[in-house]
Amino acid sequence: MAYLGTGALLIATVLAVYGTVGGVLAVRRRDGALAVSAQRAAYMTVPAMGLAVLALVIAFIDHDFSIRYVAEHSNRAMPRIYTWVAFYAGNEGSLLFVAFALAAFAGISMAMVTRRIGSQRTYANAVLMALLTFFLIVLLTLANPFEQLAVAAVDGQGINPLLKHPGMFIHPPLIMTGLISVSVPFALAMGALLSGRIDDDWVDAGRVWGLVAWAMLGTGLLLGAWWAYTILGWGGYWAWDPVENAALMPWLGLTAFIHSIMVQKRRGMFRMWNIALINISFALGNFGVFINRGGPVPSVHSFGASTLGWVFLAFLGVTLVLSFGAFFWRMGLLKSARPLESMLSREASFLVNNLLLLAIAFITMFGVVFPLIAQLFVGRELSIARPYYDAVNGPLLLALLALMGIGPLLPWRTASWAAVRKVVVVPGAAAGAVLAVLLIAGMRGVPALVGFGVSAFVAASVLQEWARGTVARSRQARVALPIAFTQLMAANRPRYGGYVVHLAIVLLAFGIVGSSFFDLEKDVVLRTGERAALGDYEVEFVRVDTTNFADRTERVATVNVYRDGQFLTSMGAWQGFYPSFQMISTRSAIRSTPKEDLYVLFSEVQSDGQSAVFRILVNPLVWWMWLSGPVLILGTVIALWPARERAMAYVPSPARRPGDPQPGGAA
Amino acid sequence: MHAARVRSSLRILGIVSVLLLGLLAAAPAQAQAPTLTPDQEARANALAKQLICPVCPGETLDQSQATIAKQMKAIIRERLAAGQSDRQIVDYFVSVYGESVLAQPPRSGFGLAAWLVPPVVVVAGLVTALVVLRNLRRGRAAATPPPAAESPEALRPYLDMVDDELARDGDEPRDGAPPVRK
Repeated sequence: MAYLGTGALLIATVLAVYGTVGGVLAVRRRDGALAVSAQRAAYMTVPAMGLAVLALVIAFIDHDFSIRYVAEHSNRAMPRIYTWVAFYAGNEGSLLFVAFALAAFAGISMAMVTRRIGSQRTYANAVLMALLTFFLIVLLTLANPFEQLAVAAVDGQGINPLLKHPGMFIHPPLIMTGLISVSVPFALAMGALLSGRIDDDWVDAGRVWGLVAWAMLGTGLLLGAWWAYTILGWGGYWAWDPVENAALMPWLGLTAFIHSIMVQKRRGMFRMWNIALINISFALGNFGVFINRGGPVPSVHSFGASTLGWVFLAFLGVTLVLSFGAFFWRMGLLKSARPLESMLSREASFLVNNLLLLAIAFITMFGVVFPLIAQLFVGRELSIARPYYDAVNGPLLLALLALMGIGPLLPWRTASWAAVRKVVVVPGAAAGAVLAVLLIAGMRGVPALVGFGVSAFVAASVLQEWARGTVARSRQARVALPIAFTQLMAANRPRYGGYVVHLAIVLLAFGIVGSSFFDLEKDVVLRTGERAALGDYEVEFVRVDTTNFADRTERVATVNVYRDGQFLTSMGAWQGFYPSFQMISTRSAIRSTPKEDLYVLFSEVQSDGQSAVFRILVNPLVWWMWLSGPVLILGTVIALWPARERAMAYVPSPARRPGDPQPGGAA
Repeated sequence: MHAARVRSSLRILGIVSVLLLGLLAAAPAQAQAPTLTPDQEARANALAKQLICPVCPGETLDQSQATIAKQMKAIIRERLAAGQSDRQIVDYFVSVYGESVLAQPPRSGFGLAAWLVPPVVVVAGLVTALVVLRNLRRGRAAATPPPAAESPEALRPYLDMVDDELARDGDEPRDGAPPVRK
């Protein structure tokens, strides 16, 4: 298996190098046959990488402990299903996963981009193959998953128990594929730059793949938050940990990109800016990989000390210099097709949106590296953790949320103040009503009030857009309201899909504001039969059951929950001790309702054997955060759904630059 | 991944907890220790969010499951019960573990830079955006037809019909090809 895997990687390397060099030469020499051949070589990297992946999977299933990676990340006792997780549990395997995903995305995207964009596509493909070559060389030299042990191990070390969570089946691969798939829109932009054909041909494909990467990263982040909430046992979901930040930053960059690309698609403006944005997003993604692979910043996610971090830092530097080099080289060609007409227009609001998103991304990055700067230049040990990010990013996130309510109400090109006043009446009234109710209910705290008020404004503005559109359509086409609504959604998918995503963000904001400002928490020690009160709840410690397994000792603390003296439910808070890892893994007992979560973490049994330590939290509105995940995916699918008449917006068309088939819309 | 780092920090923890065995014996039932008033409870929770667990970088005390974090929380409670102010308690931890125990840099000295950079970035960004927008607007006279007359319809791009109309009179194709209608 080891030879098969390494062999497959070697073949893929040869193909990728050929795809890169052949592609560049093909455009230089105007050699169509060579271009086709380079493209085919790129397609062939997919089965080659697939073979390498298969070899590692088989090695895991066969318990081939002569391979170091298999011995370090699995054992005989491990259920087969965890092969999927073990595969990317370490550096080598996750790099192989990333490289395979890159090859697959390159193949799929290039197959979908038609010949029409000729030399742009050939260059884009060459860029993707160059990136793949880099990963393959790292795999073959520094992190070969097929490296063999001098003496085969009898049994492996097993899988890290923290990874035994359903979220772990999806979260890491989504983050990894999300980070790497930024390469596709990046390569398309580079293709446009390198070929010197800076018309808007790359825009449709760039938007689609930007959205794909954005949705994967976004879902991955949410799943990671859910995993942290259920398993890390501190009752929170987002810690502003350096690696969380590293995945958040490219997501912010992409969020800016998928908005601003709509301006180019619709109005032919922001051409330079969009290319700069995708370069930035790509660089932020690489920064994320750098932090993730043992960079200099301590984090929960670090794989421990590893020289790989520096390889990725070099990669980040080189790609940054090259991409912006190409950008400045072609800058003269990137003029906007038309000027901005008014500061009060959707174009301008998109620019402010971009500014806020990039500011948040930059400040987050600054927070990650600041302790390092302080240490290197002033020799002071300073830390930056959650309270700092909450303080500096919180207001910007609120501003962004507010803009999400106002921006979509502005028309393209220009608006009058009178017209704007007219459309903000309903959302403004909704926000006012919510504020009034909250104030009467006795809520004070300014940030929370603003947060809820702005959320209400955005939700109302989206609903108003839907309502007006539906009513107008139903009158005009004389159809019933539900039909009019579906037709409306179908007629302008990027816009209405975007609104669905905006609703998802409102749900998320609702949950974050609720759980950040109104959570209750308490650490308690309870004897059996004793109760602790928190909020409306009382938690009674019933008993602890201990069970021994081959690889772990499980303890389940049973608690009875009462509300206002009434018995509500019985829950089990779980913890497992894994001797081979010297590690305790916990699974909190959570009673989740739309109003609030009751969260009980069982942390330890006291030495007397009679009492146990618990951490109890009441987290309001967290339920809504998890709901936002499916809504976000639904919205993205709607936005991406290809139009009926034209399979993808960039299918060949008689007009070189077709008129705008899908007008408008906040993506 | 979380896991590896948790594992390594647990290893450090092992060493630390051996060193702190004495302390451990002294605090058998940490969370139980002194009974606090609701106000003090709230302050204890707030302080736990402002201090970092020394062996698990980046995690505040309330996030950390490490033994030392539990002990530090116990110390916070004891000192609160003894009537100390938040300031005194924070200063105590800084004197033991150094400035890096603070979850956010101090608003003085070099730490101030951490607080100044974000607003400067936002203001600089805003100024740049304004300049860019103004430049974009200045080019306006050069090439565009005047904006369509303002009518309620133009402000309600809810219908395809309207959007198409906009596309027709606003988005004239750049290469002279006729606009493609859906």
